[in-house]
Amino acid sequence: MSDDAPARGSTFHLPDLGEGLVEATVLEWLVAPGDRIARNDPLVEVETTKSAAEIPSPATGVVARLHAEAGAVVAVGAPLVTFELEGEPGAAPGIVGTVPADEPARRRVRLRPPQE
Amino acid sequence: MSVPAAARGTGDFGKATAMTDSVLAGEVPLAYTAAPGSGTPVLLVHGFGSDFAMNWERTGWVRALADRPVIGCDLRGHGRSGKPHDPAAYTPEAMVADLVRLLDAVGAERVDVVGYSMGARLAWELALAHPGRVRRAVLGGFGPADAFAGADLDRLGADEGSPFGPVFRAGAALPGADLAALEACARGQAAHPFRPDPAPRGVPLLFAAGDRDDLAQGAAVLAARTGGTLARVPGRDHRTAVAAQAMKRAAAQFLAAGDETPGGRAAHGGSPGADGAARTA
Repeated sequence: MSDDAPARGSTFHLPDLGEGLVEATVLEWLVAPGDRIARNDPLVEVETTKSAAEIPSPATGVVARLHAEAGAVVAVGAPLVTFELEGEPGAAPGIVGTVPADEPARRRVRLRPPQE
Repeated sequence: MSVPAAARGTGDFGKATAMTDSVLAGEVPLAYTAAPGSGTPVLLVHGFGSDFAMNWERTGWVRALADRPVIGCDLRGHGRSGKPHDPAAYTPEAMVADLVRLLDAVGAERVDVVGYSMGARLAWELALAHPGRVRRAVLGGFGPADAFAGADLDRLGADEGSPFGPVFRAGAALPGADLAALEACARGQAAHPFRPDPAPRGVPLLFAAGDRDDLAQGAAVLAARTGGTLARVPGRDHRTAVAAQAMKRAAAQFLAAGDETPGGRAAHGGSPGADGAARTA
């Protein structure tokens, strides 16, 4: 449960799904570490006791780490996915941290799966 | 799921959100949405106990269909629409009449219709009664079996034994649910069980469901009998299949096949079906 996101990345947390529920179960990831994803692209499918939902990507970038595997229960507000962001600083409101422009786009992120 | 409007990028997603924030006046007011755009519109019909936002918006369908004009409503008894408490107000005929009233109001002559669960049954009935208004139909989470078989219609909240029990309870647990309206809807629908004959004529049908969906049993048989297409989503049940990429892709490809115009929307990436959309388990 340690929030050990890479220093240059940006971690997206499970949003409140608006049903008064405090957790959701990951049905299926639609991306894998290393994948490039655009803002608003489908990111992950989750289910609650009431419904199923698709969560779109809040940012454009490269997926660095998934914090929960399919079938895992994730609390609202818990880390869901970490991105390495692309684009100009400030391009993704609400997300802290950007990759410096002069740095080559090599990954330096651990790719081990979540240990659960 | 707050996605700030800033940094919208290419603008490709400008139509990716839709809300039933318009109201069609009438004896039973209908909350609806109708996005402008070119091409054959898609009418989205949600399932029992759900609403437009939950069935289509949160599940990513509106995003997946963003290149088409999307029309949808909260069915009577659901969401922000009127909620009569009389089961007679919930016959399939009355609910299909709402859909026709909506199509007329927004000037949609002919649409593709996508329905899930009870919405699929209504899509079937719409195509049957008004074949000229429906180009293609996607029937999700739906089969020929009576969805209310074994259901205790007098004590739905305590129905543990039938496949419909969990569907009712999930709907009843949602914020804003009107229990009396939902019970009336269940009774009104159950009083008119689905009959596979006659089938809609001249309207290509896609049956799409999770392979663990109890309420879609017999979909393959119905697809075969109607000359329809079948898409199964591996590992998904009635509640979770609706959000599956495989189902949205299968539907989008099926509807795109109705676009006959040269240079029209080919399925991006080429070979339809090659990406697993229609994995037949």
